[in-house]
Amino acid sequence: MPQSLRSISGALSVVAALVIWVALLGPVITLATHLSAGAIGHALSYPGALDPLEVSLEAGGVTLGVLLVVCTPLAWMLARDRLPFPRVWEAGLLCSLLLPPLVIGLLLVFMVGPYTPFGQLIGHFNLTATNTFLALVIAQVYESAPYYVLGAQAAFDSVDQRLEQQAALLGDRPRRVFRRVTLPLAAPGLAMSLAIAWARAMGAFGAVIIIAYHPTGLPLQIYTVLQETGLASALPYALVLLVVALPLPLAAYIWSARARGRRRG
Amino acid sequence: MLEADVEVDRREFTVRAAIHVAPGERLALFGPSGAGKTTLLEAIAGLVLPRRGVVALDGQVLTRTQRPAVCVPAWRRQVGLLRQDPGLFPHLSVRDNLAYAREVDPAGSELTDLAAALGLEDLLQAMPARLSGGQQHRVALGRLLLADCRALLLDEPYSGLDAALRRTLTGLVVAMVSQRGVPAVLVAHELADAQAFAHQLAVLDRGEVLQAGRPDEVVRQPASRRVAELIGYLGFVPVTAVGPGSYGLAGLGAPPADPALTAGIHPDRVIAGAHPDRGLVLRGGLTGSRPAGAGWEADIQCDGTIVTARLPDRPVAEGGELAVTAIDAPVFGPDGAAVAADGLPVAGT
Repeated sequence: MPQSLRSISGALSVVAALVIWVALLGPVITLATHLSAGAIGHALSYPGALDPLEVSLEAGGVTLGVLLVVCTPLAWMLARDRLPFPRVWEAGLLCSLLLPPLVIGLLLVFMVGPYTPFGQLIGHFNLTATNTFLALVIAQVYESAPYYVLGAQAAFDSVDQRLEQQAALLGDRPRRVFRRVTLPLAAPGLAMSLAIAWARAMGAFGAVIIIAYHPTGLPLQIYTVLQETGLASALPYALVLLVVALPLPLAAYIWSARARGRRRG
Repeated sequence: MLEADVEVDRREFTVRAAIHVAPGERLALFGPSGAGKTTLLEAIAGLVLPRRGVVALDGQVLTRTQRPAVCVPAWRRQVGLLRQDPGLFPHLSVRDNLAYAREVDPAGSELTDLAAALGLEDLLQAMPARLSGGQQHRVALGRLLLADCRALLLDEPYSGLDAALRRTLTGLVVAMVSQRGVPAVLVAHELADAQAFAHQLAVLDRGEVLQAGRPDEVVRQPASRRVAELIGYLGFVPVTAVGPGSYGLAGLGAPPADPALTAGIHPDRVIAGAHPDRGLVLRGGLTGSRPAGAGWEADIQCDGTIVTARLPDRPVAEGGELAVTAIDAPVFGPDGAAVAADGLPVAGT
């Protein structure tokens, strides 16, 4: 292909990529253009206006903790074929990924509601899994866990098992191999998976509206304000959601890129 | 002393092999790809559990399948394994890779002295991705040296590197093994690499040790036609016994007493010209020739068989008659086993 044609085709590719990028970013750009500092200040100055933010952050933090503690070992076992019938396990995860969040919410009522065995069990400890903080965490975990597990599984998969063998041959016990080799090498992928799970948890709405209408988190607050006072009043909360949900994925992305860059020397 | 007598099941066949390597001794496992060489190393290293057998190092049983069963985990064996992929930890600098094994001080003189000896002193802060293949192998070797291994296993470690670098690295390993007096096992599928390294050569095929002995012994006196094929004998011509310990081409002179006798011809053990006093004389038309190394490789149509010979000078033109002499050509019986000069089967080891 002649040089001139190649440069034209290169320029066209860049323009096409730019159009797609701007289109994907469209909602964020629209949000920025429809908000003024005054409107944000006015909307958020009501007493208790930032309570949903607090609820979302607390529930999101607990959700991340649950994912890290419970789902990381599961992802590792899946990646290392430590479970019998691994494809069955993966299919189960995909099922929960494919279920619409609203359906997850409905099913959770039948699973952890007050009249279910689980509901009655936790009832002995004065706990309820509907319309409570616990219910919000459960809904967020169900909406975000498949994203984290599948991402973390891919992150562990990407670690060459020969490196783990080499570490063992150099005298490291399995736990030490995990700490010194597996975890550092999988960390960029784990961070990205956790960031995606965080974004999913912060934005969880479908399951939440069914099982955890109270306490109100940010997505429900946006919906409620939209219903009660209209679109313009809901936008400041959308901005707040974006501002609190974005930094972790962004930080994870930058950290992962830097970690990979360090490895390249 | 490293001793292993194991049976390891693989999909296609079972690896059944026994090896004994004394401290400071170097054994090369030679054979085609998929012969079970790596499986044997992995069984010694504790990465694969044999179906049956024993692995012992310096009198300590590392693996025993019979009761009371023993399986010392890989991290307690102190057995170093160097593969073709050096296996450097990509998130650690050269210094941290070298100091990875326990109780190695990253800033200690032991590490810096070794790095200097390996030519790595200027690369200690570099990340592995920045190193060339040869440098990566030096780091991997240094890491094993600092780990104080009781045995060293090398799984085709220098495949893919240029010949000069292979020689240098092999020299380093040989010096280290001699200095530390540890048993070492090299897996190789290039005979030259195995010969350059080893005191002992074991030829493996489909999981079985076909022959073991000194490298020159194995090459000159293969125990069977299969061993001969594996170590580079390229032509097999029918011969007949013409006297005690003496063979001639079948069909020439007296009719063959046993037409199934064949002599193995190694291209490097052939000299130009007819020298009946030095070996088996082969005559035939030249069917092809090409440059090989510093000389020429010639294909000779000899009594219905193509024999390849490496000669120092360019042979006659294609189609011309050529006479060569195969020196000490081993002779194989109808079952493929080598027969001694007196016609008796040679005991294979």
